[in-house]
Amino acid sequence: MIGLYAIARGAPREAVGARGERVRIVARGELEVVCGDPPPPLSEEALRAHEAAVRRIADLSQACLPARFGSCAADEAALSAALAVREAELAEALDQVAGREQMTLRVHGNLPDEPAAGGPGTRYLEARRRSRTLPELGPLRAALSGLIRAERIERHTEADLLASVYHLIDRGSAPAYRQALESTRLDGMHVTFSGPWPAWSFAPELTP
Amino acid sequence: MKKRARSEADEIIDRADASLLEIIDHVLNKGVMLQGEVILGVAGVDLVYLRLNALLCAADRLLPRRGGS
Repeated sequence: MIGLYAIARGAPREAVGARGERVRIVARGELEVVCGDPPPPLSEEALRAHEAAVRRIADLSQACLPARFGSCAADEAALSAALAVREAELAEALDQVAGREQMTLRVHGNLPDEPAAGGPGTRYLEARRRSRTLPELGPLRAALSGLIRAERIERHTEADLLASVYHLIDRGSAPAYRQALESTRLDGMHVTFSGPWPAWSFAPELTP
Repeated sequence: MKKRARSEADEIIDRADASLLEIIDHVLNKGVMLQGEVILGVAGVDLVYLRLNALLCAADRLLPRRGGS
């Protein structure tokens, strides 16, 4: 059994994994899979160690798609087979994250009620569009416009937590991002942030 | 085995601070996961998924109104 840390391009040859092991690279076409020991049982220490290992690998890679904690393969042959059908999708995702890192925003507050306009169908579609794009974040997007290379939004159903927003930014631009964020106010909402992170939220979910 | 993994997940969640919640969200909820040949091999993860959003919401109360880590 082998554990996965990342799928990368220009991955470091000498990185250290979560349990102190030397990672190894399994190449498949233009993909480099950074592998190590099998995943340990779930624990806070194991999660932190996995995150730290992925961060070390990402920092030294040209492009890095982190592997979720617990990802593993029976052996290299099984790994290659699983990757074979997803190679193009992964290569495209690597292109997107190359030279970039992620900032994570948690948006808290309540959305103002929309004035009812149009019929039920129109209102439904409009609500769906707003839910996906959160136009209320307009001022924030404007302030960050020169910095954001890609955005993903995840809506939440919990009271007060409206959404998580993930931004891909160029490596090294986190200070400028923070500064722009801190100088922006949003009506009825407030935003907390963390980062920079490896591009966790820009890794494709590879379901068969 | 199952019981032990669940109590471990419970323990993580119960003492999670804001920065740990961010790590949990990224490391367990995001990232490449290959299915089929490659499996998610860790028990107790479902429980963490279930409670994560509620906890991220609660984490707001641990953080300053504006700020980050």
